[in-house]
Amino acid sequence: MRTMIRALGAAAMATSLVALASSAGAAMLGEGVTVYMQMGGQPGEPPVLPRTNGAKAAAEALGVKLIEQYSSWQAETMLAQFREALAAKPSCIAIMGHPGNDAFADLVADAIAQGIVVTSGNAPLKELQEKYQDRGFGYAGVDLYEGGAITARAMLQAGLKSGDKAMVFGNFSRGDRGLSDTGMADTLEKAGITVDRVEMSEEVNGNPPLSIPQLVAYLQQHPDTKALGTQHGGITPLLPDVAQQAGKASGELILGGIDTDPKTVAAVKAGTMTATLDQQLYLQGFLPVLQCVLSVKYEMGGFTTNTAAGTLSPKNVDALVPLIDQGIR
Amino acid sequence: MTAVVNGKARRASAQQRSLIARVLATEGVPILLVLIAILVALMALAPNAFLGWRTYVSVLINYQPQIICALGLTLVIASGEIDLSFPSVITLTSLIFAAFYRFDNVFWLNWLAEGRTPEEIKAMQAQLSWLGVVAALGIGAFVGFINGALVAWIGIPSIIATLATAFVWRGMAVFLAGGKQFALRDFNQTDLWDITTGRLFTGLFQSGDVVLRKPDGIPIQAVIVLALAVLLWFILNRHRFGESLLFIGDNAHVARVVGIDVKATRVKLFTLMGALAGLAGMFLTMETENFTTTQGQASLLVVIAAVFIGGTSIFGGSGTIVGSYIGILIVVMLQIGMVAMGLGGDIADMVIGVVFVLAVILHMLVERPERLKGLGFGNR
Repeated sequence: MRTMIRALGAAAMATSLVALASSAGAAMLGEGVTVYMQMGGQPGEPPVLPRTNGAKAAAEALGVKLIEQYSSWQAETMLAQFREALAAKPSCIAIMGHPGNDAFADLVADAIAQGIVVTSGNAPLKELQEKYQDRGFGYAGVDLYEGGAITARAMLQAGLKSGDKAMVFGNFSRGDRGLSDTGMADTLEKAGITVDRVEMSEEVNGNPPLSIPQLVAYLQQHPDTKALGTQHGGITPLLPDVAQQAGKASGELILGGIDTDPKTVAAVKAGTMTATLDQQLYLQGFLPVLQCVLSVKYEMGGFTTNTAAGTLSPKNVDALVPLIDQGIR
Repeated sequence: MTAVVNGKARRASAQQRSLIARVLATEGVPILLVLIAILVALMALAPNAFLGWRTYVSVLINYQPQIICALGLTLVIASGEIDLSFPSVITLTSLIFAAFYRFDNVFWLNWLAEGRTPEEIKAMQAQLSWLGVVAALGIGAFVGFINGALVAWIGIPSIIATLATAFVWRGMAVFLAGGKQFALRDFNQTDLWDITTGRLFTGLFQSGDVVLRKPDGIPIQAVIVLALAVLLWFILNRHRFGESLLFIGDNAHVARVVGIDVKATRVKLFTLMGALAGLAGMFLTMETENFTTTQGQASLLVVIAAVFIGGTSIFGGSGTIVGSYIGILIVVMLQIGMVAMGLGGDIADMVIGVVFVLAVILHMLVERPERLKGLGFGNR
């Protein structure tokens, strides 16, 4: 609840500032500000699209020049993109935390030394944020571990009980990216669930439909599995297909995932999907641009916003469908 | 007397060896034996997953796009070329097909939805999806033609030309999608789904009391792709076009001298590959009932690995449709088997790599032992 209030607060603040900027008419608040922003995967990809749209909306509303950078989720590309951005000497660089604190430490130090504001999103960089918060280093995104835990709690509420077996299909060995999978698995285990943690291959990461036969085979081999969880936004919408091809009746398997892909939303609506974490990715695009403007113009410190709004449920799903089609949710 | 008996035994043994050699030399047999060995091992290690039918049906449902691309790529590689753009053609043609179904959600077609009720739009979706089929196949063939023109007429090496166009087709897909992803809601209730993606022999696959959104059964896509494999086998092995491809792959200069129109053949080849990638993209979208801008993007390495595991030569001049079909199944079964045993995809990748190397050695052992001098086979 506190998280939601914080997120709503941030959104309200964003709206007021944008309104102020618009009413000012002539001079926009972000005029003269150039932001290099890392968006994650590829243009238009499910988790990337709402973030991109949020960033573009903020840039347009505030008059910011926005340069988008897409990395196919490759940590080394994110680092290379930071160097490219640094060379261009923009006002602000909004990065993703996937490469980790150590990998970014020297680069961020160089940027700050040159007077460039740096802020982060999607995956946290806690050490760097503590060090440079007063210079505008903020974070807009989900606490990854907590995000996985939120999804797991929704799965538990849906009927998983101590002694049941579950499989979490994730990226456990891929550094910070695996934190949400770990949060999900840990939370289930704490509730007495026996969890099988299975690492997905790179091919499945990039081509989610390939996961279906793998998960079907797993369910055949382990017929006592009661729940299937993932924190992969591309695999989540396919979980109902997995259940169906494994011969499970609708609702027989408890399915937990992440993000609001249109197919996931349709499955939640149809009751074939139990729970999916809503990260409010639009905010993860909008807020870093706002952070950049406030820090560049008014030397504001970094603010932290946990954008997670809980899980998507049949109660709120209808209202969200048009927004998802527009790439906002 | 003993000498006569020994002579007979030697002759019988030689005949037996010759029979084994003949069987092993039959297209696809060595790699089929590898697949059988892998399946036997998986049946022992994960019996619940591999002794029932659900895992196999799931493979048939989900891997047809990869099989289609592997079949097409076999022809391309056999002719001494490569196509790195097919994953992007999958993305582009997925978008084209999905756009005609969800015309109300794309900026270049949404004018068709203006002033119409949701019911009218739904009825139009079913009709326009047929046009989507034609458009996806046509666009696939067209972009393949452009690939072919760059390679054959302009003279850009295919690895460079198709790498470059891969970026173009992928970018075009994202642009035409307006950066959006969309679900093809209720597509499985259309006639087109029934004809292209529905399930056959559903009565044989009992699901008990479970009410399924899509019935269990053999997917029609699998039957279509099997027929396509047979057709492509005949084209490669019994048709002048296939003969020309193999000739060009073996030696393009000599092919030109004997009167083969090398340029035209290459353009036709890439056009065919584009159309096949278009079919793959369309089938992928039809089965998943979803479009995302990364659709098909991670297919490249799996498909190329399958073609080489199957026995098609990297040097050109020989290719095996049967081998590529089985090659995909080997890669898939290994991936599935590892996950079924709870071992994860990282272990699967390592195992696939080892099987890849072993399969290539096996093919060389059967076909060109002289290349394996390092193992002592070349000295025989």
